This record gives sequence, C-alpha cells and structure tokens, in this order.
Amino acid sequence: MTDVRVPETDPFDSAPADSGGPPRPGPGSPAAGPFGLADWLKWAWRQLTSMRIALVLLFLLALGSVPGSMLPQQGSDPVGVQQYFSSHPALAPWLNHLGLFNVFAAPWFAAIYLLLFASLVGCVVPRTFRLAGSARTLPPRAPRNLSRLPRFAEYATSLPPAAAAEAAARVLSAHGFRLRRPTAPAGPAGTAAPAGTADSGGGPGAGDRPGDPEEHWISAEKGYLREAGNLIFHLALLGVLVSVALGGLFGYKADRLLVQGYSFADTQSALDEFHPGRLVTAADLPPFTITLNRFDASYISSGTQRGQPSSFDAQVSYTAQPTGPVRSARIQVNHPLSVDGASVYLIGHGYAPEFKVTDARGQVVYNGPQPFVAGATGNFLSQGVLKVPGAQPEQLGFTGVFVPTAVDIGGTLESVFPAADNPVVSLIAYAGNLGMDTGVPQSVYQMDTAGMRQLTASPLLLRIGQSAKLPDRQGTITFTGYRQWVSLAITHDPGQLPALICGMAALGGLLLSFVVRRRRVFVRARAGQDGTTMYVGGLTRTDASGAFEEEFASLAAELRSAHHKAAQDHAAPPHIPAAPTPPEGE
Amino acid sequence: MFKAPVWLAGRRTVVLAAAVLAGVLLIGVLVAGWATGGHSDVTDVDGSQSAVMYTAGHRPVAPEFTGTTLTGARLNFSSYRGQVVVLNFWGSWCAPCRAEASTLASVAALYRSSGVAFLGVDVRDTTASAEAFARSFSITYPSVADPGSAITLDFTSVVPIAATPTTLVIDRTGHIAGAVFGSATYPVLTTILAKVTGKTAAVAVSR
Amino acid sequence: MPVNLALGHVSNDFLIAALVIYSLSVVAFAGDFAFGRPRRAESSGRVQLAQQRAAALATVGTAGSTATAVPADAQDAAGSGAVGSAAVGSGRTDSMPEVALPALRAIGAAGRWVQAAVALSAAGVVAHTVAVVTRGLAVHRAPWGNMYEFVTALTCVAAIFFLYAMIRYRAWMLGVFVMGAVVVALGLAETLIYTAAGQLVPALQSYWLDIHVTAMTLATGIFFVAAVLGVVYLILDRYAKRVAAGRAQPGHPIVGRLPTIEQLDRLTYRTVMFGFPVWTFGVIAGAIWADQAWGRYWGWDPVETWAFITWVLYAAFLHARATAGWRGRRAHYIQLLGFLSLTFNILVVQVFIAGLHSYAGVS
Repeated sequence: MTDVRVPETDPFDSAPADSGGPPRPGPGSPAAGPFGLADWLKWAWRQLTSMRIALVLLFLLALGSVPGSMLPQQGSDPVGVQQYFSSHPALAPWLNHLGLFNVFAAPWFAAIYLLLFASLVGCVVPRTFRLAGSARTLPPRAPRNLSRLPRFAEYATSLPPAAAAEAAARVLSAHGFRLRRPTAPAGPAGTAAPAGTADSGGGPGAGDRPGDPEEHWISAEKGYLREAGNLIFHLALLGVLVSVALGGLFGYKADRLLVQGYSFADTQSALDEFHPGRLVTAADLPPFTITLNRFDASYISSGTQRGQPSSFDAQVSYTAQPTGPVRSARIQVNHPLSVDGASVYLIGHGYAPEFKVTDARGQVVYNGPQPFVAGATGNFLSQGVLKVPGAQPEQLGFTGVFVPTAVDIGGTLESVFPAADNPVVSLIAYAGNLGMDTGVPQSVYQMDTAGMRQLTASPLLLRIGQSAKLPDRQGTITFTGYRQWVSLAITHDPGQLPALICGMAALGGLLLSFVVRRRRVFVRARAGQDGTTMYVGGLTRTDASGAFEEEFASLAAELRSAHHKAAQDHAAPPHIPAAPTPPEGE
Repeated sequence: MFKAPVWLAGRRTVVLAAAVLAGVLLIGVLVAGWATGGHSDVTDVDGSQSAVMYTAGHRPVAPEFTGTTLTGARLNFSSYRGQVVVLNFWGSWCAPCRAEASTLASVAALYRSSGVAFLGVDVRDTTASAEAFARSFSITYPSVADPGSAITLDFTSVVPIAATPTTLVIDRTGHIAGAVFGSATYPVLTTILAKVTGKTAAVAVSR
Repeated sequence: MPVNLALGHVSNDFLIAALVIYSLSVVAFAGDFAFGRPRRAESSGRVQLAQQRAAALATVGTAGSTATAVPADAQDAAGSGAVGSAAVGSGRTDSMPEVALPALRAIGAAGRWVQAAVALSAAGVVAHTVAVVTRGLAVHRAPWGNMYEFVTALTCVAAIFFLYAMIRYRAWMLGVFVMGAVVVALGLAETLIYTAAGQLVPALQSYWLDIHVTAMTLATGIFFVAAVLGVVYLILDRYAKRVAAGRAQPGHPIVGRLPTIEQLDRLTYRTVMFGFPVWTFGVIAGAIWADQAWGRYWGWDPVETWAFITWVLYAAFLHARATAGWRGRRAHYIQLLGFLSLTFNILVVQVFIAGLHSYAGVS
C-alpha cells in the first residue's frame, strides 16, 4: 500500500516509500508537461491502491451488506420478496431497480468488492516484490548516532570494542536476528566486498569509512515473516473470493420434498427447486435415486423444553446409478449423505395426511398423501390444500389444517405437542373450477378459490379412519392416515474445500502478521579513555502495539550482562579462581 | 533497501496489473460466450426453444424401460419398436398437462391408423388421481407409472427434460426425433409427426 | 440426558455472587480514583521518554534540540537519570531502558485501593468462571447455547481478559470502566433475558457448534473490552483537546489519572488485534457448521451478514491505524461502530429477524 506517512518520520526506510525516480507530478501540477491518458491511469491506479480508498471501500462493503440483511432476498426468501411487493407496492419496484432484493448478486455490490480486491492486488504485488528484495539484502549499516532512534540504551564495558561487538553479535544471533558486520578493512575504496556483506546502497558518506579502526558495529534485523504473513492473509482473501466464484460457476443447489415410502431420482424435473451455477446444466446432476424408508423425529416430552425436537433421523436407501447396488444410509441433521460428488442434507420435515376422495359419480378420484407445511404457530400445526381436479362433474378442493396432537382449547383446535399423538384434520371443502385447465402452473401447496364455491360452512373435523359426506352430493372424503415427509437439500460446491483452505491460510497469515514484528537493533562500540562505551539502538516498523519496547529493554539488559560476563572472563585468567571484580560503569 | 531499482518495480507493477486485468476480461468474455452458446445439431420447430427436432443421424437413442401401467399391466417399451411413439411425461397435479391433454387425445386418435402409438409416463403421481385425469380427457392410450422418476432419469440423460410436461417423438428405429418442452400444441405436435411419419395431419385423417 | 436443575441453581448463585463481587471491585477502583496514591500509570515514564525522543527526532534540524524535562513524579522510571535531551554521548551515566517491575510488586506499590480492587476482580472472575462451568455441567453441553448463557460467558471472557491486561500493563485505572460495564451487562442478562437451563434443538447439536460459538464468545468478550477502552479513549481525547484549546483545566481528578492517550490507543489496538483473529476463526467455524447443517457454507443469512459486517468494520479499524488522517479519534469511532454492529447482531438480528440462526430461546 502506498503509505501516506511522511517519509522523514519513518526512520525504518533509508529512502522514502515511493521515491527512487524523478518526482512524479500530480494532475494539475504546474511542473507537469502534457498530462496524457497514461498519467491519468497511473494516478487513478495509485489512488485505488491507497489505504484511504481501501478504507472507503471497506466501509462501502459493510454498508452495502446492510440492506441484504434487512430486506428479503430473492435467493433465500423469494416468497418474502413477493410479500414485500404486495405490502409495499410503491416502494418495492424502486428497491428492485436498485437491486436491493438481490444485494449480493447485484452489480454494484460486485463492483465494490471487485474494486477492493483490485486495490488489494495492486498493493500486495509490489509489496511481494519488495519483500523478496529485502529478504535478500542485509540490514542497513548502523547509523552513527544511535541516540536518535526511538529506543536507545547506553552503557560502558571494559571489553575492547571488537570483542564487545562480537559478543553483541553472538547475543543477537542467538535471538534469531540476521546480522551485518562492517566490511573488512580493505585497500582502496571500491574493492569488491566479501560475499555476504554486500552494501545496500546507502548514500555516499554515510556509515564508516572502510578500515576505520575505531568503529565497530553490528546491525541486526528480524521479523521478515510479518510482511509475509500480511501478504498471505490478503492473498488468501483473494483465494476465498475465487473459491466462491468457483462454487457459483460450477456448483448447484437443489431441493426436494420426499414423503415416507416414496423415492425420487436426481433429475431436474423431479426436483422441487434447482439452482445451477452459471456453468452447470441439469446433465451434471449425479443420477442417484433415494427412497425414504423411514423417518423418526423425537421430541422432549417433559420439562421446560417440552416440545423441542431432540433428534431427527431419516433412514434411506439409495443407488448411486440406476443400475448400481442399493445401499442404505441414515441422514441426520449435521450428517449429510454423500453420493457421487453431491451432498444430501436433511433440512426439514413435516406431516403428509392421507386422503381418499370419492366424487359425485362414485369414482375414487384421489387416494394418497398430501404434504402439509407447518406454520409459525408451533407444535407442527400444519396447513395445506388438497386439489382434486379429476372429480366429476365438478372439481373439488379442500383447504385444511393438520393438528398432530389435537386438544380443544376454548373452542379452537390447537396442537399441544409436535408428535402425532392425537391427529385430527380440519377441512373446508370447495367445488368448482380450480383454474388448472388454463395451463398456468400452480403451486401444489396453494389453491385458487376464485372459481370455486365453499361447500361447508364450518370445517369438517376428521380423525383417522373417519369420513365425511360432502354437501350437494359432491362425494365423500376420508382421512385414511398420515405419513411424514422430509425436505432434502442436494448441493455440490467445488469451491467449498478451496474456500476452507484459503480461510485457514488467511487466519495463519493474520496471526503471523500480528505476532511477528519487523525490528532492527544496532550496536555500536566506541573506545574511550576508560573502556568502551556501548550504544544500543532499536526501532521497529509500525509497532502500533508497543511490544517492542519491552523486547528492546530486555535485549539491552541481556547485552549488558553478556558484556559484563565476557569482561569478567576476559579479565580473569582461567587458571586462577576469579575474584569478583567490581563491574564497570555501575 | 531494494535489490532492484525502485522505478523498475513501479513500472512492473503497472504492466502486471494491466496484464492481469486484460486476462481476466478476456477469460470472462470467453466463458460468458461459451456458457450461453447453443448446440448446432438441433433446430427449432416453431422459432422458440420449447420444441426441437433432431436431424437424422444425430438423434439420441431412446432408453429401454419397463413399467406398470395404471391398470396394473406390465409394459415393456421395446415392444413399441417399429412404430413411431409419442412419449408424453405428465402428472395429474400438473396444470400445463391438463391444458395439453385434449390435444394429445385428439392427435392420438388422428394418427392411430398411421402406426403412431401414444404412451404416457405418469410422474410423481398416484393411481387414483391419474385414472381420474385420463377419464376427464378421454385418454385411452396407456400410461406407465413413474412415481420415483426413474424412467425420467433415464431419458434425461439423452434429452434435457427439465420440467413436466415434456413430449418426445421417437422414430421407428427407437431414436428420439423431436421433443416438446412444455405443453404440446396441435400445430407443433403435428408438424413433428408429419416430419417423422411423412404424413401430414390431413393425410393421416383421410386414411 | 435430563437437565441437572440443582447444578443450574448453583450456577445462578455463583453468578449472583460474581455480580456482587464485581460491583465491590468497581467501588474499589473508584476509591482508588478518589483516595488512592496520586500518580500516573507506571509505564508512562518510559513511554514519555520514547515520545520525547521521537519528538526530538522530528525537530532535529529545526531550531536546536528541545531539552525536555522528565516529569518530576516519574519515580518509577528507575535508572533513567536525567537524560532528557536528544544530544549524543551525554557523559558516562548509563541510560538503560527500564525493565518492568514484576506485577505483584507493581500492584503492591500502587496502594491499598488497587490491591483491593484487583483482588476483588480476581475473586469475581473465579466466581464467574465457576458459574459458567457449572451451567455447562448442568446442561451437559457447552454453556453458550442461548442468549443468556452467551452474555454471561462473554462477560466472563471480558473480565478474564481485562484482568490479564490490567495486571500486565498496569492499567488498573481503567478498571472502573471495564468492570463497570461488565456489571451492567451481567445485570441486564440476569434480569431481562434469563432463561432456565435446557437442551438445544437438535439442529444445533454438533461439535462445530461448540467451536463456533466458543470462538464468537471469546471474540465478543475481547471486543467488549476494546469497546470500553475505546469509549474511555474518546473521553480522554476530547479532554486533551479541550486542555490544549485552553477550555479546560489540566489535572482533572479522574481523567488526569488515566493512562496517556497513546497508551490507551495502543492497549485498545492490542485488544482488537487479539480479538480479530478469534472472530475470523469464529466466522470460518460457523461456515463449516452451516455447511454441515444447512448444506451451504455461506448463504448471506442475516446473522452471517452482520458477522461479516462486523469483521469488515474491525478490519477497517486495523487499516485506519495505518492511514494518515484516520488514526486516533476516527479509528476508534470505527472500532465502536464495529462493536455496535456486533451488539446489533446479537440483540436484534438473532432475535427479531427470521433466519436459520433463530435459537435465542427468548420468549
């Protein structure tokens, strides 16, 4: 990122962040010549990759996500979108134009994160080059005046400067620092330096004159991993974006409601919903078939959590291909079935009461289950419709409520427990034209009563096995029993594993960049009249957390004690037990 | 601090970024074009994508299947080899199927004497409702029950059956010659049958 | 497995005890303000020296180096002598950066009120932790499955984290604010959103639940501390600006005892730096859990969306600290905005906006 800090206050860099060439005039600068398209592009690019713009884009990303959580979204709640249109007829079309009913697929949202990632790439790539470059070069030479550094320590030792510098080098090296020593005294200037002590190109006149016998210093640097971690984090975010795109291109989601005892094949016309990725066709669906043999839901029967479900369990048998062997499996919540690259999840369940309808002519025109859907009232009080278009002479239709554990409370039938301990069905019968003959597709769960007349004034209440004769000799309906149904989600997402890997890499990079600090420590030893003065200076790049302070303090103390110990060893000949000599400078 | 001169890193970045951007755009354009492209061995019948005919030599083979009819009899599709078969995927719950039902019944009657057999595949349905449907529209040709969509699955592997209803026209050699995705209308169905049997509706009815 | 109601009651008793002990610790912290030893934070001496050097660095080349006097009451800056100027080679006196006193000695040196406050805080943390643990034992699962449990757990995390930070960075003058906030949050949890111990809906029975919600609880507790510190920062910053403008007297009895702006800024930054990876991990773990339960790892569910918004805002805070013109006050506004979105997520989105996440157990 183009650090907008003033170069002079960043002592870490020997040169300002983006210098090195002739100063680039901005647009409108009087020093500029003709400011062509290329210059405008460069200026725009520099703006895009600046931290300020990255901040603005981050804000926009957060702000843009807000309507996506407040308004119903087309992808997850299309029914809610329809309801919003009907309840806000004036406002809804405008919101729709702005793309607010499908925020996360809207072009403007895509523009925000694409710009953000462009900014990210534009920052990360040059920094990667810079990191590679700086990782190959040695730390810069120690400045002459270490007291100007943010962290500074000074003490005296009796060791000669050369030995002191070497002792310091040992201590720093033991801490994992990368060292640079002064170039060996050589002849005329311009002789090639020995390998490993290459000059980093500090300007003329800075640092030592080679061969100056009075100057001994060590430069130490550590913490290159911080920048590497930072780059890994940002690149991994890019990887997450690519993984999401992969899933959007090559993945799909499908839903299917399956009644106990029935089976379905994984083909587009047999699915209730199919949302393919952009590059996915129905032919990519794996050709498995699943039969729901049994479904059990158990509920807590006592205590404060009475009525809460404690387990869902679907026992299925399936074939991966039409000609393959039949296998059995259990699908539970959090335990999907994996078949041929797709995963089948148990998402929900409900009741499907079974009816037998006989029409006016005595023919059995309906005999089977009809799924009802649980409403918001709780305890699986379920609603549904039963459409009998084959009834003659008039089509029949019923709207109904299935009450699993029915108790009459104050005249209304309520469900007090989600298990079907006392199932009762309450129906209102209609006769007339269901509106299906025009060919316009209808939902199986909704009935248009516009062309029908209500046959019964009050609802018909039926227990299992009971029948009711319909008025006007329209026929009879029998509540023959009930089954349970499950809703299955079939998904395939090739970007799932890459997204996980990139997410973990992002986390790793983040931790690295937070924990590791890039820091430099310089040690100078200057000989004086009574011993050597040691100057220790340290600085760290963007130490916004202040932890380097303590590290430097302990390093300085360690250096001093190492010099102290080395001075004692140096002063005392090894074969005489050392008499404690007063340490210098204390 | 840098090994390489700084100005080179700056220019390199711009070039790299421009190259990446151009590459992404190019790939995006190619992918978009590919994803929305169609097939060349399929021609439209009535100008829309809802009915197609397969040119001879490029016709997919209709899969074999056996099943139980609504009356309970066993049926083997291979017994239809040698006839032109109109295979109609339908369900009693399906409103567009009701819209096309009388068309199918009358075209079936029209072409019966020309050696065209109609066969229904009743998907996701129950027997009572299906029989009531057939009674309502006086459909006399048989239908095979396919409650688990297994037959549909087999056919979807050769023809993209996306929804119900779908009507396939299978030639005498057992290859799928035409398909109607959605409600079959009289002009579309008769056009396809005319091409497959060589007999137009007028000729068929006069026989 | 049936719920152990006896342990549930034990948990509640310990929580009340923790609430009482925390309240007493807040009183002790306040007492330190009113009656304690008059001094600034111990580490401020060192920081000031470093600041002076940095300031001198910037002024080198302009009219001479400024001779800055070390504050007279910085007796904790042991051994630093009289080195105030940026001059080079100032004699043979050693100038060593100070290595911090051990924590207990520092607490002892800070006076009786601080000792009492720290001890009470520690005791409160112990009681709080016992409350959380026994709740978990009572319900045979991780004790953060509904709103009440979540708030008690996150305040426990906040208290533990602050206890550690307070001792490590000698930041007990911040105790009245952080512990006060903990008391308020716990009190609200106890009175407004209490739910008896119970089992979870099976849709949530997964070990990834424990990992995800644990991480979110930890991160929220840490961000809670950061938010309190951010508020204190804003108060301090406003006061400092008013002093600089001459509109307020320096040496305010409360504000004058707080750490310096820079220390507070750094402490807040470190806190967010601690919490941000935990939040990131929590989001990833949540995605893994969502994939197992619902078949997709990210569906822009309202709770997911707001967790994402929170993440983006904290990322913006971390970016802002590296951007000129956005450090200081503005950055802390961003951080507080992030915490607001986090709170909004917990209190409003999860309860009222329907989505797959609805499990708060609030009637």
